[in-house]
Amino acid sequence: MISKRFVIKRLLLLIPVLFGVATFVFAILHLAPGDPARVIAGQRASEEFVRQIRTELGLNDPIWVQYGRFLVEAVQLDFGRSYQIQKGTPVTEVLRYKLPVTLEMAIYGQLLGILFGIPLGLLGAVKQDSVSDHLTRIGALTGISVPIYWSGPLVILLFAQVLNLLPASGRIASRFDIQPITGIITLDTLIQGNFAAFQSAAAHLLLPSMVIGIYSMALISRMMRSSMLEVIRQDYMRTARAKGQGSKITVMKHGFRNAMIPVVTVIGIQFGTLLGGAVLTETVFGIAGIGSLLVSAIQVGDYPIVQGTVLTFAFLFTLVNLGVDITYSYLDPRIEQ
Amino acid sequence: MDDRRTESGDRPADGRPDWRRRARRVGRAAGLGFAAGALAVGGFVAAGETVRFASDTVFAVGALILGFAVLGWSGSVFAGRGIENAQEHLDVSSNWSEADSRRAMTLLAGVGVGGMVGSVLATLALGGV
Repeated sequence: MISKRFVIKRLLLLIPVLFGVATFVFAILHLAPGDPARVIAGQRASEEFVRQIRTELGLNDPIWVQYGRFLVEAVQLDFGRSYQIQKGTPVTEVLRYKLPVTLEMAIYGQLLGILFGIPLGLLGAVKQDSVSDHLTRIGALTGISVPIYWSGPLVILLFAQVLNLLPASGRIASRFDIQPITGIITLDTLIQGNFAAFQSAAAHLLLPSMVIGIYSMALISRMMRSSMLEVIRQDYMRTARAKGQGSKITVMKHGFRNAMIPVVTVIGIQFGTLLGGAVLTETVFGIAGIGSLLVSAIQVGDYPIVQGTVLTFAFLFTLVNLGVDITYSYLDPRIEQ
Repeated sequence: MDDRRTESGDRPADGRPDWRRRARRVGRAAGLGFAAGALAVGGFVAAGETVRFASDTVFAVGALILGFAVLGWSGSVFAGRGIENAQEHLDVSSNWSEADSRRAMTLLAGVGVGGMVGSVLATLALGGV
């Protein structure tokens, strides 16, 4: 049973995280060159018009007043309006449509990482120093070492160009017209009972999820292997085997839960890398999520979008880690103390 | 040196954290930040920049340090134990620890806040608002 005190304590930790990110982003954007008023007005606008915009945005106020106002508005989830990308649209509105796209890819990537990483790690530990163990370790090291901007084009080349098995970009074939309900397209197609559209969405999602999940899978399998190897050598495992319990049952019943403790933590920390990876993956696969939105916003100097996107990333990351903490304390109740 | 203290320096042998010692340490860091912030604003103005530019730049640098420190502190509390575990399991152990990281980040936050306050007061003193 997870204690309320533990969960509340972890929830309260969200406050400094988000305050830190907000302050960091505010500072970075104020140190970056460029004038937001000029960005909005355009390069050919008159000085008077630029001055007028500057007054409207409160850019003439002292920086500490701007900082205070930014923090107060951020608490109210008001990140302002887009300067350039969707001119005049509230940032929260832009994020509402883009966030599910990235979340879908990150969740599927993480699922692939977990689904393949845990069994591979287990296999490596149970059959230590066998051929399969060596192959798993080589695979894991390769997965950790290969950057997304290289693995992305490679899988596109192999699966989309050479083998012609999967689509190279987009979220669904253009012949399907799916009305967004949740924004998560595979879920929306299922809710609307359109299985052909679901197949198309899943096929489009497979390559980006695979690319984003490779690193995750590699890390999880390596962690699972080392953690399980440690657990296998414990006295209670030897006792269980000495009492005549089969080795598979011993590993799964007594070892698995204990070996999962560090793996769960890595999965949580890994989610941040996954979101970071989404920025690259979306750019490579032409997916319009918040990753590619962030890149475009930085390029055109759309500061409210940058602030909103980074804060959303931070919020997601801390939320996932909160979930991990709760799982962690479920697996090992001593953690709460 | 008080011999009741442990090696980490801010937790006496009875296990309770020594808040006064911690506050003194953060206060010193904030003082350092304050002086640096005020001097930097003055330095920019002396070099021919406008008070507005000096104030914006120094305040933003202070905020950058504060943001980094708060993020680092909360990140250490959030994931420090996990990172320590991961280091151990991946055989990449270093001397990094959650407690050390938290202490360092607290000092850095002090410098950041000090810098921000220093830049504000220096700006007001120079009549930059």
